[in-house]
Amino acid sequence: MKFLKLVLVLLVISVPLIVFAEKAKTIDELAKMYDSSNCKSCHAEIYAQWEKSHHARPLMGVKGGLMLTPLALKKGEKGATAFSEDDPKKMKISNFPCFKCHLPQAITSAEDSVAVELTEALLANDSAKIAKLQIGCIVCHNDKAIIHKRELGAPEKGVLYSTKAVASHPDRMFKTVKKSAIMTNSVYCGQCHGLGPNLEFDQPFQCANLYGSYLHNYVSGGGTKSCQDCHMKKGDHLIAPNFNDDKQTSALLADALSLDVEALGYEWLRKANTYTPKIVVNTKITSSAGHRIPDG
Amino acid sequence: MEVTARTADGKEIGKEERHYHPQATNCRDTKEKYGAQWKVANIRDTSIQPHQPKKETIEFDLPEGVRAADVTIDLFYEAVNPDNKYPIHKITKNVSLDK
Repeated sequence: MKFLKLVLVLLVISVPLIVFAEKAKTIDELAKMYDSSNCKSCHAEIYAQWEKSHHARPLMGVKGGLMLTPLALKKGEKGATAFSEDDPKKMKISNFPCFKCHLPQAITSAEDSVAVELTEALLANDSAKIAKLQIGCIVCHNDKAIIHKRELGAPEKGVLYSTKAVASHPDRMFKTVKKSAIMTNSVYCGQCHGLGPNLEFDQPFQCANLYGSYLHNYVSGGGTKSCQDCHMKKGDHLIAPNFNDDKQTSALLADALSLDVEALGYEWLRKANTYTPKIVVNTKITSSAGHRIPDG
Repeated sequence: MEVTARTADGKEIGKEERHYHPQATNCRDTKEKYGAQWKVANIRDTSIQPHQPKKETIEFDLPEGVRAADVTIDLFYEAVNPDNKYPIHKITKNVSLDK
C-alpha cells in the first residue's frame, strides 16, 4: 500500500514535467500548459488586475477585435498578408511572427497544429477559443524573466522569477521563486515593447517602437524612470492603459500630456489701410511620458 | 488635435487638424500602412516625444463683420480607427477683437 502511494505521489509530481517536456498540439493544451489560474488563490488582487490587462488578451486587439485575422485569410484574398497561406491547414507557428511578443509560448511550446487551429478559429471568428491564449504569470515570471542566458542560463522549469526571491513558494508546480536580474528594469518590457522593425524575419514587419523611443528620446534627454515606475505603480499588473476602459485611458493620457493654449485676436495690417481680422492660437503639448505617444 | 473657431451663434468659421503619430510604409511603395503585419519601417514621425514639447501656431482669418469667436482646442487619442476616440483635453477660449 505504501509503495502504491509512493508511485501515485511520484506520478502527480511528474505530470507537470511531462506536460512541459512535450509541445502542445491544441490551443487547449497550450492554454493548460501556461494556465495561471492557480496563482489566483494567493495573488487575487494581482490576478484581478492582470485579468483586465491587454496581457490577458494579447490576440484580441482593442475592444474585442481579433488582430491576427489578416494572417489567417487565404493568400491572395483581400486583406491577406505575406504570412497568409492558400489553405489554413498549411499554417505553421512561423506564419504567425506576431507570436514573438503576442504569444511567445507558442514558439517554444506549441506544434504547428496549434497554428492551424488558431487560423480556423480566426476565420470562424471564434473569440472564445482565441481568448484562451494569454500572456499569463508563467510567461513573464518564467519564460521572459532571464535575458542574460549565456551567463545565467535559461529560466529553470518549476521556478518563478520575480523582484525578490521566495525560498518556499506554496504551489504544486512552482515551488521556488528566484530574483530576476531585470524585472524592475525597462529592458524587461523592451523584450516585446520594441525597438522598431523586426528584421530577423524572412518578411520584416514593425509593431511597437516603444522601447526604442524610450532609449533614444527619453533616456537620451536625461530621463531616469523605468517603464515599471509609471505603468506598474505599487505592482499594478493592469499595466495601464487598458484601451477597453475609455475613462481610465483618457485619465492616463491627460496625466501624461498637458495642453497649454494662448489665443490672440487682432487686426493684421497687410498693407496700408487693409486690415485682416485674425485669431492666432498657440498650442503647446508637453509630455511627461517616457516614450513617444502614441506607441505600443 | 482639432482646433475649431466658431461664431457666438455656433457657426464654424475655421477648422484645422494636427495629427501626431509615427507613419510607416512597407518600404516597397509610398503608401502608409496600418497594422504591424504590413508595416516595415517608419518614414515620418510626428508623434509627441518626451522632452520635446509640441508647439503649433494656428491662424484663422475672421469673415467680414465677425469681431469675436470661440476657439475650441480638442486633444484626443485615436486607437485602431478614427471613430474610437479617447478625449484628453478640451479647452475653449473666447477671443474678441474689441477691447
